[in-house]
Amino acid sequence: MAALCRGKHRWKRTNCLHVLTRNLTGNYDYDLVVIGGGSGGLACSKEAAQLGQKVAVLDYVEPSVKGTKWGLGGTCVNVGCIPKKLMHQAALLGTAVKDAQKYGWQISGPICHDWATMAEAIQNHVRSLNWGHRVQLQDKKVKYLNIKGSLVDEHTVKGQTKAGKETILTAKNIVIATGGRPNYPTQIPGAMEHGLTSDDIFWLKKSPGKTLVVGASYVALECAGFLTGVGLDTTVMVRSIALRGFDQQMAGLVTDYMDAYGTKFAWKCVPKSVDKLSSGALQVTWTDTHTGNEHKDTYDSVLWAVGRAPETKALGLDKLGVQLKRETGKIILGSDESTSVPNIYAFGDIGEGRPELTPTAIKAGKLLARRLAGHSTELMNYDNVPTTVFTPLEYGCVGLSEEEAEKRHGKDGIEVYHAFYKPLEFTVAERDASQCYLKVVCERAGEQKILGLHFTGPNAGEVTQGFAMGFQCGATYSHLLQTVGIHPTCAEELTKVSITKRSGLDATVTGC
Amino acid sequence: MAHRLLVRRIWTLSAKDIRCLPASAAAASSFSTSILQFATTRASFLSPSHALPCSLPHTSLRGVSFNVQDHEDFTVRVINSELPVLVDFHAQWCGPCKILGPRLEKAVAKQKGRVAMAKVDIDDHTDLAIEYGVSAVPTVIAIRGGDVVDRFVGIKDDDELDSFVGKVIGQ
Repeated sequence: MAALCRGKHRWKRTNCLHVLTRNLTGNYDYDLVVIGGGSGGLACSKEAAQLGQKVAVLDYVEPSVKGTKWGLGGTCVNVGCIPKKLMHQAALLGTAVKDAQKYGWQISGPICHDWATMAEAIQNHVRSLNWGHRVQLQDKKVKYLNIKGSLVDEHTVKGQTKAGKETILTAKNIVIATGGRPNYPTQIPGAMEHGLTSDDIFWLKKSPGKTLVVGASYVALECAGFLTGVGLDTTVMVRSIALRGFDQQMAGLVTDYMDAYGTKFAWKCVPKSVDKLSSGALQVTWTDTHTGNEHKDTYDSVLWAVGRAPETKALGLDKLGVQLKRETGKIILGSDESTSVPNIYAFGDIGEGRPELTPTAIKAGKLLARRLAGHSTELMNYDNVPTTVFTPLEYGCVGLSEEEAEKRHGKDGIEVYHAFYKPLEFTVAERDASQCYLKVVCERAGEQKILGLHFTGPNAGEVTQGFAMGFQCGATYSHLLQTVGIHPTCAEELTKVSITKRSGLDATVTGC
Repeated sequence: MAHRLLVRRIWTLSAKDIRCLPASAAAASSFSTSILQFATTRASFLSPSHALPCSLPHTSLRGVSFNVQDHEDFTVRVINSELPVLVDFHAQWCGPCKILGPRLEKAVAKQKGRVAMAKVDIDDHTDLAIEYGVSAVPTVIAIRGGDVVDRFVGIKDDDELDSFVGKVIGQ
């Protein structure tokens, strides 16, 4: 049956071959089959079911190279946002405990951290979320299958269980939301055999010890940040620049803070090989591209954070003619998340040009479900998406980087208001606030529409969220000035910002 | 021998008392949808000063309950069991489960083999848990002759558990 459906031909519903796969409920087994049970896949399938569609969601986790696997929920729940934020919190609490002493708390003895306690608590929370998602699917009447899905044709999905058993499902529409997985630099000898990725770090039962983090993406910096924060000797090896794609001035502040905070940086260095010593430790050889010299050092763990690759290989996309972007391997999408093949849609991390964020995947998934059910025509708006990097000094932003604003409007077409501020809480704690900074990039002319807003400081995510709404409403600099600040907070500094970069004046502002 | 007869009489008396007691509050039989059990939300159920009943001899709880291995094991030892079975659906991330487990074992042990107890880790046996409509944990389901005869969700104290167990056996 499946063999007859293979190929790029469009099978009309009147074709008798499809009669063989029909069941009592209609033309196909399901109205919608979603491949991928992550942030996007779950949101899409639940929304579709709520709108009366017959939906199945397929989720399957291929174990990592190190053998790590996890339950339902995708990257965010299991090996991304959730455990990351919790480990970041663990690190922040370490700093807070140190600050506490200045605030009068009598803490006797050295403060040390037990990885196993933290890991177990976080892993338990993640497991409770896996369960919660399972219950939600049950409640919303979404059929859940723990099978590895691949496409047979635009209406047929083949699923394979861990044991190798095969299932065939037919669907009116198919949605691909399989996300991505971390890259291994396979060209570096020893990288795969001895290194970890973000898929593994959150599931380690024992401390990773002295760690080398290779990469300078937000994944690399966030991981290095919390590893340093819980007391581990951590080095970040950066090939060229940090936080590519983000505002580079802000990226510099983030890494400067990390450097002052205790994370070591190996700038402009590229690893050459990883060898395991008889002691069990890992010896990394690298080249300093600045000097050309070779260096060696030993680590307990090597964490590769050198990019993520979309999960498209095993989907059978080429067979169906689903177009992928060659450089990235991601699926080329229309603004309605459609692929080059009718009835097949894709969204989330797997989509070319899409932000790799949970909230956008969730929203896009819900809107797609509504469109497929015929309830709406609204498309996902990918503009004005706020985000935050949860490094030891958090960085929140919405809109354009200063570089991008300059490129689009010219240096003379923009006005950048900025300020270095000191969070009140840092004063008593005698903490260095040199990298606590904010800037609002605006159009120079007229109402001075805000093009981008950037903030480094504690709770940057909480601070940025509210301003993102203003941004979405087309806020201008005058709107900002009209807004009364809440005192004493860090966020209020955004409502008071008045020194321009153009003026060349000292941007350090003092509290009251 | 006399001691054993005496002890048995006490147990029988207890069972009778339990049967006469008004139905314990909320043996929650409704399927609680989308309620996730977290340790913090159920903290109010914890009574750290709850005293153990000292009228009964201390029973070794070793071997009172068994862990369900798979679906087949469940069929053989629970569905096809001659005894009524209390199935304790629990999870390692669930704080209240760690409190209810031993308490339930104690209540079961008191019944000296008239009721069995199976433990199902919902992370290991997710499909089974979903099949039985478990959403929050701990959930205890009483199965007799392969049918669900009673269930409750959340922590119960020793008296409530004795009452529940007694009802399952007595009916």
